[in-house]
Amino acid sequence: MASDRSNEADYVRPVRRLVIGVLALVLLALFLIWRIDSPRIERFRTAIIDAVVPNMDWAMAPVTQVARMVEDFRSYARIYEQNQELRRELQQMRAWREAALQLEQRNAQLLDMAQVRLDPQLTHVTGVVMADAGGPFRQSVLLNVGARDGIVDGWAVMDGLGLAGRIAGVGERSSRVILLTDSNSRVPVSVQPGGQTALLSGDNSPAPVLEFVESPEALRPGDRVVSASDGGVFPPGLLVGEVALGADGRLRVRLAADYGRLDFLRVLRSRPAEVIEQSGSLLRPVDEAGRPLDPATGLLAPPAEPDLAPDAVGEPAAPVAGGAQDG
Amino acid sequence: MAEIGRFETLGPMALWLLIAAVSIVVRLLPLGNEPGWPMPDVLLALTLAWVLRRQSHLPAALIALVFLIEDLFLMRPPGLWALMVLLGSEFLRRRESVVRELNLLFEWAMVAGVMLAMVLGNRVLRALVVTPNDPLLPALAGLLLTILTYPVVVLVLQGVLRIRKPATGEVDARGRRL
Repeated sequence: MASDRSNEADYVRPVRRLVIGVLALVLLALFLIWRIDSPRIERFRTAIIDAVVPNMDWAMAPVTQVARMVEDFRSYARIYEQNQELRRELQQMRAWREAALQLEQRNAQLLDMAQVRLDPQLTHVTGVVMADAGGPFRQSVLLNVGARDGIVDGWAVMDGLGLAGRIAGVGERSSRVILLTDSNSRVPVSVQPGGQTALLSGDNSPAPVLEFVESPEALRPGDRVVSASDGGVFPPGLLVGEVALGADGRLRVRLAADYGRLDFLRVLRSRPAEVIEQSGSLLRPVDEAGRPLDPATGLLAPPAEPDLAPDAVGEPAAPVAGGAQDG
Repeated sequence: MAEIGRFETLGPMALWLLIAAVSIVVRLLPLGNEPGWPMPDVLLALTLAWVLRRQSHLPAALIALVFLIEDLFLMRPPGLWALMVLLGSEFLRRRESVVRELNLLFEWAMVAGVMLAMVLGNRVLRALVVTPNDPLLPALAGLLLTILTYPVVVLVLQGVLRIRKPATGEVDARGRRL
């Protein structure tokens, strides 16, 4: 047979055709099943990729290294441009530094003039992040300082720059920090130029949402957000981040803390703010021992009658050294 | 004799599998290529050229399996592109004896037609089951690039890998005509 290209047996061609048909049907069925029940097939796909891709580190490592070297080499080629660019930036930075120095001096002068007393009790303990105990739904890290170091639940935790979270759970030698991005995190903040207070509530996304803002139209992206002392959770005035408008149109906060590199965290020792519970009471003269004097006579007042006599007249009371609170 | 025959098929088959694996891994690597840039599908061009030269090296099941794995890894709808490649390669496999007498130019045109049909079939099937399609222009640009790389792939295949069309009267190890 001239047309018989190969010396296949007669049964080979139909069987072959059948096999191809079955293969095609299987593939088509797989595609249709994927279309109907996508999550199951996607799980299957993820399982396969999970099984294979981590084993390919040995293949990835040299290639990524080479790619990085190529990238570096390219940046060599642009070295002149980069130099120019850096010079320009340096120039601008100098100007900013000058401005910052002047502002710092001015701030110091003003604080001095106003005799502002900064809270001296804001000291900190620095801990090392041991583990990232978070998953997709829990954003928390473990610190290597605990009750042994005097850590107390609820203290604020910062990285070098901004607020990172608060202590939630203290062990003897470790403590858990719940980050601002966790969906359980609610922190009172105030937005700086206007001083509006709001609630910063995490939603497991990198940028937490600003909630309960009184007039959102007054906020602008880029405004500074600092912590507020409402509710006594945090010491006021810690930098949190800046306002940003999320893709979903909600006001969010771009955090100042670098969540990609949480290595060292400092826990701020905050004492509970002293609460002034009593209203002011009447001022009256006392003697050296602190016993109340009768203002009319300048003599020791009878203890049974602490109130001023309404009909007391005569020489005014001798000037006393200082009023003291009664009782 | 039978062992030699098997080895003569298994060697190139393993070579093709290796090339396919490398091609998939390279596309998985985080090399930071722009997502908008279409790339030529070298593996497809190589497979079609190979089937037109020594079809016994590439069984249909193996082609389907490899392209199914490619589908899974490259986040495409699983099975669809593999189906298209299977049908396209089978179409060419049937016409191997026709292509054997054609020169490269006609072979090129034929393969280009098959590739175009595969891409169109892919898009039509996706549209039929209402799955989001890839953007049209990059897909066509990728197809064009693949078609343009086809002669290069053929040259490499014949020159470097020594996979050629069987000469007239050439026989395999068992003395059967190719």
